[in-house]
Amino acid sequence: MNKFHLLQFHALLQREILEHRNMFIMAPAILAGLILLFSVWAMTRMGQDTVSISIEYMALLFDGLSPLEMAPIFMIPAIPFIGIFYFCAIIYLMNSLYQDRQELSILFWQSMPVSNLNTVLSKLVTIGMVAPLFYIATMFALYVIALFWLAILGWSYDIEVAGLGYMFLAAVASLIFVYLSIVTTALWLLPTIGWVVLFSAFAKRTPILWAIGVFILVGFLEEFIFGTQFLGNFVQSRSTPTQYLILDFQDIVERLINYDMLFGILVGSILLAGAVYMRRFID
Amino acid sequence: MKKIIFKNRYTLLVAVLITYITVLVIEGFITGRQAQFLDFENPFFDLNIKDIEAFRE
Repeated sequence: MNKFHLLQFHALLQREILEHRNMFIMAPAILAGLILLFSVWAMTRMGQDTVSISIEYMALLFDGLSPLEMAPIFMIPAIPFIGIFYFCAIIYLMNSLYQDRQELSILFWQSMPVSNLNTVLSKLVTIGMVAPLFYIATMFALYVIALFWLAILGWSYDIEVAGLGYMFLAAVASLIFVYLSIVTTALWLLPTIGWVVLFSAFAKRTPILWAIGVFILVGFLEEFIFGTQFLGNFVQSRSTPTQYLILDFQDIVERLINYDMLFGILVGSILLAGAVYMRRFID
Repeated sequence: MKKIIFKNRYTLLVAVLITYITVLVIEGFITGRQAQFLDFENPFFDLNIKDIEAFRE
């Protein structure tokens, strides 16, 4: 891959972000704003004593503890962001190749020196690696604001707040784990992503109905033809969050290099290859 | 063969789905993946829709 191809791919990623900035930038920003608003409201409802005791307790709880060991605790506040991200990811993937054909912008992009493979890959890299960065940046901004807010409140109540620094470091370390978990999830769920992208490239209307309907149909056909339920079992065996959550750096190799992960990537690649070839057919 | 597969979007979709399901079934047979569709196990209760009689009891 030479410099031209890298620049071309970078431009494709920029295009994806610009076209979907509501999902990747506005959605986490609005969520962070709502969380901040709710926190301020909750604090005003609490008495001054309760607030000062809570800050003191938090500062004491994290004081001197290893941020990496305490980081998994901060995976919990990240759950709303991860939930919104997955919701946006499904909408994005479902429309990713469908919208091009609806707007006929596919004709423009196919007239450019951009291959269908690069287009599909750019969408995968966007959702698996680039878009999560915006969510992580928003969470980081939220944690910084929360730290300053708690520190100022702590000083105003004359409380020792040195432990809040350790709490902040744990929160930042958790962001690394959240990002790695999202990237691992994208690889682990590659068969699902491939399935959705395939029907996004295929359907003339309502790709989500096609994706769900054909999945059910194929499941029935498998049972009817082969007398097995491997499709259902395959999906079931890949739906436990503990299979792709990373709570420790030692988990990375274990999560990324194992038989199920590699087989999932192989199966997902078959569906993605189908999506790439499906781009030949324009309505 | 190539001409048939790339004839239109439907033939391509069918070809991709056949490849996909064949790989899954072969892998399932080789590794002996147990089919346990709708077998919902958790620490609180066991639910297996296939074994509906036992569930009623």
